[in-house]
Amino acid sequence: MSTVARRTLLLDIHRRLQSFTLDLQLEVGEEIMVLFGPSGAGKSMTLESIAGLVTPDKGEIILDDRVLFRKGKPGAHANVPARKRTVGYVFQSYALFPHLTVLGNVRYPLGRQAHAQERALSLIEAMGLGQMADRYPHQLSGGQQQRVAIARALARDPEVLLLDEPFSALDAGLRERLRADLRTLQRERHLIVICVTHNLEDAFALGDRLAVLRDGDLEQVGTVAEVFRRPTSMDAARILGIRNTFRARVPSADADHVTLDWDGLELKAMPQAAPLGEVVPVYIAPTDIKLLYPDRPVLGGLAANQMSATVTRLEHREHQQIIRLLLDNGHELEARGAGYFYQALDVHVGGRVGITLRQEGLRILHEEDGRQ
Amino acid sequence: MGWQAFLISLEVTSVATVLVVIVGTAAGLLLARVHFPGIQVVEAILMLPLVLPPTVVGYYLLRFLGNGGPVQRIFGINIVFTWGAAVFASAVVALPLMVQAARSAIRSVDPLLENAARTLGSSEPGVFFRVTLPLARRVLIAGAILSAARALGEFGATLMVAANIPGRTQTLPLFIYDAVNKQQYGVVNLVVGLLTGLGLVAFIIIGRLDPGYRR
Repeated sequence: MSTVARRTLLLDIHRRLQSFTLDLQLEVGEEIMVLFGPSGAGKSMTLESIAGLVTPDKGEIILDDRVLFRKGKPGAHANVPARKRTVGYVFQSYALFPHLTVLGNVRYPLGRQAHAQERALSLIEAMGLGQMADRYPHQLSGGQQQRVAIARALARDPEVLLLDEPFSALDAGLRERLRADLRTLQRERHLIVICVTHNLEDAFALGDRLAVLRDGDLEQVGTVAEVFRRPTSMDAARILGIRNTFRARVPSADADHVTLDWDGLELKAMPQAAPLGEVVPVYIAPTDIKLLYPDRPVLGGLAANQMSATVTRLEHREHQQIIRLLLDNGHELEARGAGYFYQALDVHVGGRVGITLRQEGLRILHEEDGRQ
Repeated sequence: MGWQAFLISLEVTSVATVLVVIVGTAAGLLLARVHFPGIQVVEAILMLPLVLPPTVVGYYLLRFLGNGGPVQRIFGINIVFTWGAAVFASAVVALPLMVQAARSAIRSVDPLLENAARTLGSSEPGVFFRVTLPLARRVLIAGAILSAARALGEFGATLMVAANIPGRTQTLPLFIYDAVNKQQYGVVNLVVGLLTGLGLVAFIIIGRLDPGYRR
């Protein structure tokens, strides 16, 4: 659609705060980058730094070849004011101007430009708000308000769109639709989108890549699937809400497999870097734990780590079921599977089931530096 | 006679109110949005005329505007006992009310909206005139009306610094003082009724401007 060179946003932000120090290096291209982490991890501050609403202590923010901010780095000092950054910002509470109509809000950034009215109206139309142009923000639903906020942020044709917890106030059905809309927008307009969330589903559904933040530090960056399947550190796993981490000793390792001793339970994992004799953190994705049918053969990677366990909790969500399992070594794990799995099995709380931990799914995590 | 005093009051109050609204809003913006050491001292000084006896305010103004005061030394003019001094006196006593109103009006505007305006390309004056001011409008207007009412009713400081010269500096409150001394109760009742009525109307309008007001 466009032959323009791909846009990139280079971030190197350092800012000291009372509770933590934000220290982040990140390169974002034409994609949706999800900033994920607990509150107080520095996600919003990162967005505010990019938009020019707060000033980092030092670092660099470079959009294509335009230096938006530079301090304490080689090169001329720069701090482009927020109004000149061509960065669209969709605030968590939307921050619509209550004294202006939908049209007034979307027109606002266009000022006295020629065709401001038509441009604003076509944006409103494009967001499916054609009937709402003369309404005031308080007369709109949460989803409509959010669309107005996005339309307003897009009115000046920004290269970067920042969204702070964009779906937190919306119900599930609407979330899904707006996520899809956002993906389309990103592609059509070649936007660099950075989206802050602490909602796992949003992260999954939205992000091309995921950056996990904790206490102002970047724990891990990667494609969403990669980060969820292989969190590189215990902290990343914890922040992502992943519960299936445990500590096991490494009694032996060879070319075929790594043996793990988890409080008396012996597990076989695929060959990977493993310090012999040490206790290491281990992770297994909930989807890599399978319940076994007693009458069916178990093949390949599923054969190695079979055991029995007691079901302690059973939860059915929209498309999946979550099964909490108590193992014989006294620890709990969580298995997840599609809603139609295990229908022929009698799974009930308190019942015994046969399970297996997929050999390829057992991953040794690294605690300190987030590198494997 | 009363008619002249009415016109003088109208002029003095109008000019004083315009001054108070501009200076008071600027001061309110400063107090609400800028943090600097000593801000509380500045705030306290701006509020002082509210609690000082009018004679004290009048005395300060005499020293400030009069012979040997800074205004005379710098500008070479002495406006004591003139119409200008009446404007000054009214403005100074009304200013605290406007500052307070402006400060709380501007504080009630969510800074997030101002930040949103900045990301949408607004300069600082743009943010103020297109977002802050419209959102603070009702409370600012209420503050302006209250200030005007206070300026209209000013007596003590005006008497000291502008004196009570019929046809030149005699405002309605001073006119009432004279008329009572001369026992002209007919005209006194008329003017007292007028000022009371204006005060009532002012507060009714202020009440309606309150953000919590519903029909």
